[in-house]
Amino acid sequence: MSEPILQVANLHVDFQTYGGVVQAVRGVSFDVCAGQTLAIVGESGCGKSVTVQSLMGLIPMPPGRIHQGSAHLRGHDILASKIIDGQDIRGSQISMIFQDPMTSLNPTMNIGSQIAETLEVHKGYSKSDAFARAIELLDMSKIPEAAKRAKQYPFEFSGGMLQRAMIAMAIACEPAILVADEPTTALDVTIQAQILDLLGDLQQETGMAIILITHDLGVVARMADEVMVIYAGEVVERGGVDDIFYRSGHPYTQGLRLAMPTNNQDTEANQTLVAIDGSPPDLFNPPRGCAYHPRCPYAMQVCAEQAPPTRTLGADHQAQCWLHHEMAGALPDGLVSASKVGQ
Amino acid sequence: MLKYFAKRIFLGLVTIWFIASATFFGMHAVPGDPLAGDKAMTAQIRANLEAKYGLDQPLGTQYLIYLGNIAQGDFGISFTQENRRVNDIIREHFPISATLGILAIVFAGLGGVLWGALTALYRNRWPDVVIMFLVILGISVPSFVVAAISQWSLVGLNLATGTAVLPIGGWGTVWHMLVPALVLGLSTMAYLTRLMRSSMLEVVSTDYIRTAKAKGLPATQIFSRHQLRNAILPVVTVLGPAIAGITTGGFVVEIVFAIPGLGRYFVQAIQQLDYTVIMGTTVFYGAFLVFMVILVDLVYGFIDPRVRVEK
Amino acid sequence: MSTSHLTPADFQPLQSSVSGQQISRPSLSYWADAWRRLQDNPRAMASMGLIAFLLAFVSVGPYLWQVDPSVQDLDQIGIGPGADRSVTLAPPFQPWLPEQQSTILADNAMGLTLTMPATTQAVRLMWARADGVRYRLYRNLFDPSDTGSFGLPLAELDRSYFEDRLDLQAGTYFYSLVMLDANGAETATAITRTVNVTRVISVAEAVERGLIKTEAEAQLGQELRLAWHPLGTDYLGRDMLARLMYGGQVSLFIGIFAPLAFVLLGVIYGSVAGFLGGATDQAMMRFADFVVALPFLLFMILFKVIFGIGPGESGIWPMLVAMIILLWPAPARLVRGQILQIREEGYVSASRLLGGTTSYVVGRHMLPNTLGVILVTMTFQVPSAIFTEAFLSFIGMGVAPPTPSWGAMCNEGIKSMLTRPHELMFPALLISITVLAFNLLGDGLRDALDARMRGTE
Repeated sequence: MSEPILQVANLHVDFQTYGGVVQAVRGVSFDVCAGQTLAIVGESGCGKSVTVQSLMGLIPMPPGRIHQGSAHLRGHDILASKIIDGQDIRGSQISMIFQDPMTSLNPTMNIGSQIAETLEVHKGYSKSDAFARAIELLDMSKIPEAAKRAKQYPFEFSGGMLQRAMIAMAIACEPAILVADEPTTALDVTIQAQILDLLGDLQQETGMAIILITHDLGVVARMADEVMVIYAGEVVERGGVDDIFYRSGHPYTQGLRLAMPTNNQDTEANQTLVAIDGSPPDLFNPPRGCAYHPRCPYAMQVCAEQAPPTRTLGADHQAQCWLHHEMAGALPDGLVSASKVGQ
Repeated sequence: MLKYFAKRIFLGLVTIWFIASATFFGMHAVPGDPLAGDKAMTAQIRANLEAKYGLDQPLGTQYLIYLGNIAQGDFGISFTQENRRVNDIIREHFPISATLGILAIVFAGLGGVLWGALTALYRNRWPDVVIMFLVILGISVPSFVVAAISQWSLVGLNLATGTAVLPIGGWGTVWHMLVPALVLGLSTMAYLTRLMRSSMLEVVSTDYIRTAKAKGLPATQIFSRHQLRNAILPVVTVLGPAIAGITTGGFVVEIVFAIPGLGRYFVQAIQQLDYTVIMGTTVFYGAFLVFMVILVDLVYGFIDPRVRVEK
Repeated sequence: MSTSHLTPADFQPLQSSVSGQQISRPSLSYWADAWRRLQDNPRAMASMGLIAFLLAFVSVGPYLWQVDPSVQDLDQIGIGPGADRSVTLAPPFQPWLPEQQSTILADNAMGLTLTMPATTQAVRLMWARADGVRYRLYRNLFDPSDTGSFGLPLAELDRSYFEDRLDLQAGTYFYSLVMLDANGAETATAITRTVNVTRVISVAEAVERGLIKTEAEAQLGQELRLAWHPLGTDYLGRDMLARLMYGGQVSLFIGIFAPLAFVLLGVIYGSVAGFLGGATDQAMMRFADFVVALPFLLFMILFKVIFGIGPGESGIWPMLVAMIILLWPAPARLVRGQILQIREEGYVSASRLLGGTTSYVVGRHMLPNTLGVILVTMTFQVPSAIFTEAFLSFIGMGVAPPTPSWGAMCNEGIKSMLTRPHELMFPALLISITVLAFNLLGDGLRDALDARMRGTE
């Protein structure tokens, strides 16, 4: 595997609110390599967006606070200052596209100008050069009649085309990493497929890394190389996409998989959807021990007392669960143990 | 775009017709003969009026005569001033009121946008607190009190410095215009500040501002191109009706500062029950306001592309 | 975290004592939630308190302070709050015969002097007169050396004495005597004298005003106290506090009742239009647009003229009717927009699908969701109604004397703003406080009732 472009270690982000301190991210570490797609998976409110947005300086820092952890982008420490300005990396080295394209673009500026803006600011293009390049980018994103479209306004586009325009805007400055925060959630399924294909093609062409934040395992299966499962601000499992799907080592990951409807005829045809009982924990007061234990069907006494250690289950595959401890009994069905795969 | 305006202009004309008709029928609902009464009216005026309006004719004919006159821009003759045409009165005094009003709107608009943007930028810090306090004062204190107090302060200021720093009344130079226009625009400025503030705060939390930040644009550019441009839209929408408020507020300011504008004239006409002047000024003001609203719509269409393209 | 002394017991299954879904907080109804949020807003609560106080002031106040607002206290015209209200008993007014008085020695060239202590009955001045010279006598409330103006010209005389009985009030006057030249123009020779006027009253007047019971009790030189006016009096000697209370009744009545009425009218009109939809809706709204275009204030005035009431006659009801007729379109349009929006909402369709009748859907789902908007609108219309009434009274087209209203009182107060500021200040202050309170309350209501903010702290 190539050298990681982004290395995040032990990131802790919390928010000072009137109700108390919300611990949104509690010790998240990951690496992202060039040309790879990392999927960050989790429920709403688990901290996946906050993790990445805090790295980019998009979290307002008076209520938000990074009180621990480090992040290095191509060797540079981007958390050096307490309050991250982040302006130099946003848009040029790390770009982001968002969930709802209909509201994510300025309604009073035409699309071409909005794309050209980044080029003018980060690459010093002139207005006309930037606009011309914007048209090219729209073309690259497979928007027909790009020259005409560039002069139009967001409300004249459909959802799928807007998302393509957003992608064009994001890759304008050839970023090293493109972050896609639930890019397809607001779109039709057929459009979803097109957008994901576009992302894949662009990644092939430019060699950029993609961080894909999603709660949809179908998207993960299609796009991801690496997957990181987050629950209540902690990484509960991390590994390659095959590991996560076929050899999961954490009850939560298993639960997510079982809750996914499939049309796999032979084996799963008569199985009911298994939902995960309970609701996500209150982050003002995260539970002691393992954050997942109130909802885990295999919870043990120790799970309520102490936080589980991280166990390596395979090459680049880790899980954080007491079930992998020597003293835990036999593993439940469907979970892979450390011993099975080998240390 | 053209169709949009043709439609608006047509509607505007119908509205003016409605205003004129409402005025006409309203005035004719007054029981009794408007020409009788305790006002000493010379035979000359009476003869002129009867000839002009066909006052001995049935109502329907009078109405048509009236409409015809208005269509030609003729508002008739003053009841109380011999042979003085209402048109002349309007022509003489309206430009003064218009200047005052325009200056006031400029103050109110610029001030409102500026202070509103400031309070949103420095939210919950001292500029915000101070400005909002002044805003609350601005919308609570009646305009005539503000006018009176400001004149009082001017007197005091002139006395203290021993010279006439600013004239305390009358009209003629730019200096005469400043304080009255400021006083006139004050309550509208306060209102626009509040509007701009809430609009800015709403815009700040939108998705597209988040995108702009994610693009790494410098804060000033985000502020001017993305925030301001969108936040100003509700303020511009409100400008049209605000002009109506400034027009009526102008009456007070003209009275207090002894400015020979149309508003002061109108109030005098009311107190003297000069019917033709009242009617003519009403219709004129009504038409003026309709025109201003259309103008503001034009400006709005310029700023907000959604309106342009759809309509 | 280090795994410290783990035993096999630790790895026994955890008895789930915690049920899957827990209710973390009691759920509140929309109105309970809104009320709670309103209570958390200190400015809104303060405003409510203020409004309650004002309503009590104008309704209960007159029973506590039983003074007739139209009675004129001629001895205390235009006094400020807390002014001295003592009056001395003195013999009745005797005409002045200056010839019988000895000449007062001059203390300078013209020598303007008092012949007796100045009282509210008369101020008697004498001066040394040069033969054939005419003089002009002025009186001012302010010192001419400060203002540069001598003030009110009292008389032009070629004698050496003058008795001033013009509208004398207790206080300090500045009399100036200016020498005139042969052509009648003022020369530079002038002298100013400060005169302190004390308030006096004859025994007969005192009995008449109820200050002493019988003439027999009276002692000349005795000091009595006149009626107390806590907030002073106006230019006609009427008690300010009483006028403010009664004036408040008028202002608040119009300010609250008119919005109530025209918002209600607008709600009915708008709901019908929104509900019927289609061409009827379009036509109804077109009509509303026309009414909106009528320049409001001008038509208010027109209405008053129509009702045949000129300046000088009281006009509460015409004002009310005019406001209702002219102002209903705005709430109508608002409510119609709300209804149109709500009609498309999912829960309305769901309710229909579940078998809800039209009246049920309207009453249970649509109206409660518009009530918030209606309430906020009404609250914000009160300040404009009060301003409108004040403005109209100010230009003389509102309620007219003797009926007091805060706006009319401001109008009267402006004329004497420089000499007796309290006449303007008190009604202006009350108007401002009322307007402020309703504005803040409206803000608070809007924040509390805004459904989008539910659940956010």
